[in-house]
Amino acid sequence: MLRVKQGDCGAFEELVEKYKQPVMNMVYRTLPDATEAEDLAQHVFLQVFKSAHRYEVSAKFTTGLFTIARNLCLNEIRRRSRHPAQSLDETFADDDEQPIRQAEDLRTFSPPDSLLHGELEAKVEEALAELPEKQRTAILMCRGDEFSYEDIAEVLDCSVSATKSLIHRGRETLKQKLKPYLKTGAWKEK
Amino acid sequence: MNESEYQALIEASWRRSLTDDEQARLDAWLRTHPEAHNEWESESALNRLLDQLPDVPVASNFTARVLRAVERESAVVARNESVFDRVKQWFSRPAPRVAWALLIAGLLGFGYHQHQTNVRGEMAKGLSVLANVAALSDPAVLQDFEAIRRLAQSAPGDDEELYALLQK
Repeated sequence: MLRVKQGDCGAFEELVEKYKQPVMNMVYRTLPDATEAEDLAQHVFLQVFKSAHRYEVSAKFTTGLFTIARNLCLNEIRRRSRHPAQSLDETFADDDEQPIRQAEDLRTFSPPDSLLHGELEAKVEEALAELPEKQRTAILMCRGDEFSYEDIAEVLDCSVSATKSLIHRGRETLKQKLKPYLKTGAWKEK
Repeated sequence: MNESEYQALIEASWRRSLTDDEQARLDAWLRTHPEAHNEWESESALNRLLDQLPDVPVASNFTARVLRAVERESAVVARNESVFDRVKQWFSRPAPRVAWALLIAGLLGFGYHQHQTNVRGEMAKGLSVLANVAALSDPAVLQDFEAIRRLAQSAPGDDEELYALLQK
């Protein structure tokens, strides 16, 4: 990030390459529309670039990145609630000249597997989508060693104990909703 | 291991796989606390389920699009900066500086003149009120003013009543 601050575009490209997937995962699970999520993820990185001159070494980059991502998602959710019929493309009109997104699905399952996992994934995604935004973000950021509870608390703008409580409550809800799948052990099949 | 250590292990499992040592301690705890077995089973099952969530597909040209957006943004910033620089250069020449100074001085002078005009107008109004007061007749004339004013307020029936009384 220091290199980006000094105007190194190559360093910025490396940052985008490294963090595009986690940012997309988070944005998509907050705004479940692939195209809009991708537009928003691009704006996240654009914001990062714009604010690079304010970057301080003491700040953790990923915390700032996810804070920007979360704030943009919340703004978009608020915007949608005010203008339900307006598409994100209209707001970010200068992206019109961009080529259509080229997504590549790398997952390959045999038909029975794909049916089973497809259903399971859909159920998990559905259960996650029904969680309150803070609980969902906390749970998603919690998986993986990238973020400490302190980092998650900073992104969510709450205390560490409140963060743990959010995760606990969210997980309890997920366990209730996914009970049949946890009990049958369907998850073991993958 | 105690209850709080067990809870700490559960919380650790939310974020990552337990180490061999942690797993051994957890197994030992579960052997002595079979009631916790179900809780741990559901926790670890949910962990696996969340781990298996697939990554959202990202467009192969995502990075290129971000970089293009950044280039566009940089171009806009550079354009704005160049406009700002030109304005700054223009202001650094003596003639525009003198023109601006004259304009500002003119505006200040006009503002001061307007202010003085307003103040004089207010003073003239005050003087005219005083002149009206001076033109009033002797205050003794107003001695019965209140009684006369009340007469005007009396009802028409009162006069007829008084007239009838006077005729008797």
